[in-house]
Amino acid sequence: MNRTPIPVIHDCDPGHDDAMALLLSQAAPEIEIRAITTCCGNQTIEKTTYNTRRICTLLGIDAPIGMGRPGPMLQDPITAANIHGQSGLDGPKLPEPAVPLSTLSAVELMAKTLEESDEPVTIISTGPMTNTGCLLLAHPELKPKIKRISMMGGGIKHGNWSPAAEFNILVDPEAADIVFRSGVPITMAGLDVTLKALILEADIARIRAIGTRISQVVADWLDFFYEFHRKIGYRGAPLHDPCAVAALLRPELFDMQDYFVQIETQGEFCRGATVGAQPGKTDQAVVPNATCLMDVDRQGFVDLIVEAVESYEN
Amino acid sequence: MKTEMERHIVWLDCDTGTDDAQAILCANALPELEIVAISAVAGNVELEKTYRNALRLNRLMGTDFPVYQGAEKPWLQPQHTGYRYHGENGLGGVELPLPENVPETTKKAWDALYEKAKELGGALEIIATGPLTNIGTALMKYPDLPRFIRRIVLMGGSATGGNRTPAAEYNIFADPHAADAVFRSGIPLVMCGLDVTMQAIFTEEDLIRIGSKGTPAARLFHDALLTPLRAQEGGEGVKLHDAVAVLYAARPELFWGQMAGVAVETRGTVTMGKTVTDLWSDKKFPFKNAFVVLGLDNEAFVRTVQELIWSY
Repeated sequence: MNRTPIPVIHDCDPGHDDAMALLLSQAAPEIEIRAITTCCGNQTIEKTTYNTRRICTLLGIDAPIGMGRPGPMLQDPITAANIHGQSGLDGPKLPEPAVPLSTLSAVELMAKTLEESDEPVTIISTGPMTNTGCLLLAHPELKPKIKRISMMGGGIKHGNWSPAAEFNILVDPEAADIVFRSGVPITMAGLDVTLKALILEADIARIRAIGTRISQVVADWLDFFYEFHRKIGYRGAPLHDPCAVAALLRPELFDMQDYFVQIETQGEFCRGATVGAQPGKTDQAVVPNATCLMDVDRQGFVDLIVEAVESYEN
Repeated sequence: MKTEMERHIVWLDCDTGTDDAQAILCANALPELEIVAISAVAGNVELEKTYRNALRLNRLMGTDFPVYQGAEKPWLQPQHTGYRYHGENGLGGVELPLPENVPETTKKAWDALYEKAKELGGALEIIATGPLTNIGTALMKYPDLPRFIRRIVLMGGSATGGNRTPAAEYNIFADPHAADAVFRSGIPLVMCGLDVTMQAIFTEEDLIRIGSKGTPAARLFHDALLTPLRAQEGGEGVKLHDAVAVLYAARPELFWGQMAGVAVETRGTVTMGKTVTDLWSDKKFPFKNAFVVLGLDNEAFVRTVQELIWSY
């Protein structure tokens, strides 16, 4: 098979699981990373950008990197140091950045990438959707150049950072609202699926046994992520962000259902909630705007991750 | 065995209502429950209809429970009736005779409830199957009411999605502010929301079988539930939402669930009336105010309801 790879822009806030998402994309011959943009989320914009450059150096990704806004569109940043550590990517020692930072801002780089592409580009969004939201506001004319937004965020059934809201949406609900109202096709990897995309101890051992330098770094990342989640009662480490990549590579691994998803930007308890409706299930008539991942073949997903790590030579 | 059976003294607060009617029939037939009164609230249909429908049930059951009129409309929200599921008369078009001597007005539901609760010294339980306007109003007028209510078993809300809107279940959406007052009241709550009531499915065959007994109660069961059965899309059967709260109150062994923190959203745009439940999130509310019923033994549920309807 000699298919042209899918061009993508990775928008991320690394983050251990963002790093895994980048690793999966870079390993996949089906994907061509045209640009990477950073947002603040798991850590401050300085830290997520620094982490992105370190990850690109480690993985040999040479796509341009554009740095995002210092905060969400309207509210102050919320970070997740409790999960990802003070650096945003605690655990193994990583190489210092050997790749440059673009002089373009995240939104400028996104726009340039879309403009220069002959075909529509897919945006893989694994952090708060600040950059994509701003892009849609600043460049409505580029909407047709966005093939799809495959994003990790939200949850049809419930939240994590609040009972109603998932972290990425809660950090910038206005940006998410803009994205979900945009009409661009959306694949949503929410908590419904990501809490089932668990990495267990035996899976990490499989990765460590590969024996390359990258496999050791990945195993250390996963150990760090696993330990944290075990401490708060999880059965394993939910690999949230790689789901947004895996959905493009191996859709058959997922149970996908179409929903009309609305973002709550108000509310005392529900700010940042992704309210999902399926046609015929409530008294309101709805037209779906997102394909939501609701379940995953966990073993198939883990195999995909392991094979991705195996594909790196050093 | 009978002597060991736990008896519950219950107040029914209903917006009768096709499934409220079945809930009342079941409550009266359950030996575990002793009904002291029924209060009517606007909801599925207007108050004058929910009031008279409760009286019609009295006549059909041969009972003489006091029936009180409550709120004519929600506290702050516009009124949303549910003709589609309940018919214009609230009983799916089934005509039932009224008892003789129907009073035009009664003591207010919240006053009667408070009086009875105080008189019983804390033993009274409320089963609420409509919007929570009456109970919320009672809480506002009588701040010490929570001391006299053992618990409230309510049909309403959902730990996940809604039915009236994508986020909100009908009874809570109908009066989210009153529901908020109830969920903040400190009274032990059992929330029988869509999580469990969507599993309380009666198929058309179940309706036909139960109705075939031919008694007035059996005919009402069949005839009234045809309206909601036909209003659903997908046609997997009619959900007997309100009867879940009644059966839970008497036979909790048919159900399972979990304690949780539940808060009612009253300020959202798309989440107005959502019962935000912290069962599956990392961050929890600093309180656990409700037992959230999540599942039931459907076969035992259907069998029990059939026995209760056939006991008339």
